[in-house]
Amino acid sequence: MLTAVKNQIKVALLSTKYGLMREMTNKVTFIMDVTFMILNNASFIIQWIILYSLKDDIGGYTFKQVLLLWGIAASTYGFAHFSFKKAFSISDTINNGKLDSYLVQPKNVLISCITSDIQVSAIGDILYGYIMLLIYGITIQNFILFSLLSISGGLIVVSIAVILGSLSFWIGKSDSIADTGNDLMVKFATYPDGIFKGITKILLFTLIPVGITTYMPVWIMTEFNITYMSIVLASSAFFIFTAFSIFNRGLKRYSSSNLMISKI
Amino acid sequence: MRKYLYIYKSEVISSLSYVLNIVIGIFSYLLLIFIFFNLWNYIYSDSSDTINGYTIGDMIWYISITEILWSVAGGRKFCRKICDDVRSGNITYNINKPYSYIGYLLSSHLGEVTIKFIIYFISAIIVGFIFVGSFPEITALSIIGTIISMILAIIINSLFIIFIGLVSFYIEDANPLYWLYSKFLLVVGTLFPIEIFPEGIQGFLKLSPIYVITYGPAKLFVDFSVEKFLNIIIAQIIYIGISFGLCKILYKKGVRKLNVNGG
Repeated sequence: MLTAVKNQIKVALLSTKYGLMREMTNKVTFIMDVTFMILNNASFIIQWIILYSLKDDIGGYTFKQVLLLWGIAASTYGFAHFSFKKAFSISDTINNGKLDSYLVQPKNVLISCITSDIQVSAIGDILYGYIMLLIYGITIQNFILFSLLSISGGLIVVSIAVILGSLSFWIGKSDSIADTGNDLMVKFATYPDGIFKGITKILLFTLIPVGITTYMPVWIMTEFNITYMSIVLASSAFFIFTAFSIFNRGLKRYSSSNLMISKI
Repeated sequence: MRKYLYIYKSEVISSLSYVLNIVIGIFSYLLLIFIFFNLWNYIYSDSSDTINGYTIGDMIWYISITEILWSVAGGRKFCRKICDDVRSGNITYNINKPYSYIGYLLSSHLGEVTIKFIIYFISAIIVGFIFVGSFPEITALSIIGTIISMILAIIINSLFIIFIGLVSFYIEDANPLYWLYSKFLLVVGTLFPIEIFPEGIQGFLKLSPIYVITYGPAKLFVDFSVEKFLNIIIAQIIYIGISFGLCKILYKKGVRKLNVNGG
């Protein structure tokens, strides 16, 4: 069992490595994609400078905490899209019969599918996250915590994309539902939780778990709390388990018309 | 001109098949308005407060209008299409047609966003009213003036996107340039009125595309006057002339560099 998991991780890492090598063949485009994504994210700093010129605290966050919030949101998103790009188009993969080529591989279908491509610009998101951490104040402890929380948050984001995308096994085209769900996660993640009240706040910690992927990590980074840390890690495990269960259940309903595609 | 009208009409009819997609897309727009409603509610501790002349109601209406202009542009897809046309060589199918490529891009894109614009505008009015509870002081003239200004703003934005897309003649991928442009428009142009920025840069912003693409139409909706209308419309017409001219020059020079193999 352990060897199988180890092999699966090795294959996933190799797939990412070859994807990266493929993308790096055109160095100018590669560097432009990464650099411009960093600048793209950095442009939002202007928004926060203006907002903090109007009020000293926004949603209970200081300016530095907002930068940290952005850092975690960006690196979570970056990790998810860099390593598991195909999770965000899984609905299309199912609908167009493109799962066929993964079914014949002697590895886990879901992992093989979602790690088969990378998104270069997501490297810019990851780097931007660490730049924000640098501005917030970097220590070895912060660095480890930040990396761990970005990975666990990223895995939740990927799991949600898989869960929503897998709905295509039952209801046909679920890509708009998946896109909307993913959009919800991104948009809420970049604003302090303190500005939301009532039912919205409850939703942000349950149905739209931005609270677990982004808000709690900021609280943990600000002041380490073992309870919050356990909630984040347990939620991550729960979402991964749910994603695998739903995908595997849906896979039993999968049928296609024997699509022939080449995988290079 | 008739051929461009025909292209425009064909795209409008074609976009009617995707009305459901547009309706689903509104969700994203409403989400942003909802987030900003919460954000401004937090910043305006008292609803009777004004910030640089804007009440919380003005601010929500301002964002409702600017976000329509930002959301309906569909710039990411449009820019990617132009870049792909240039890179893949598909542009050759358009070069030998009896119309201007830029005219074709502009009319087809405007046709594509027309239905989207109408649906978003109606939704913004309904949602804005639900959030704010009242309209700004509007008259038939101010509504017509705002709509004219919004249409011109969409034309200018489309021309800027075409310009960025055509940069693909010179670099492998112009999409990252579009990301920067769209974020500049979003962060500086849609979220705050120019008056919120420090006085030192307000002059620069009034000369920038932000004034004609987002600020102008939204300002007319929130605080209409004939003088403002004339100022904004004149600026928009000048911008259309300049951006169209720039697209023409870039296309003319770029197409000479084009090298397509096979077909």
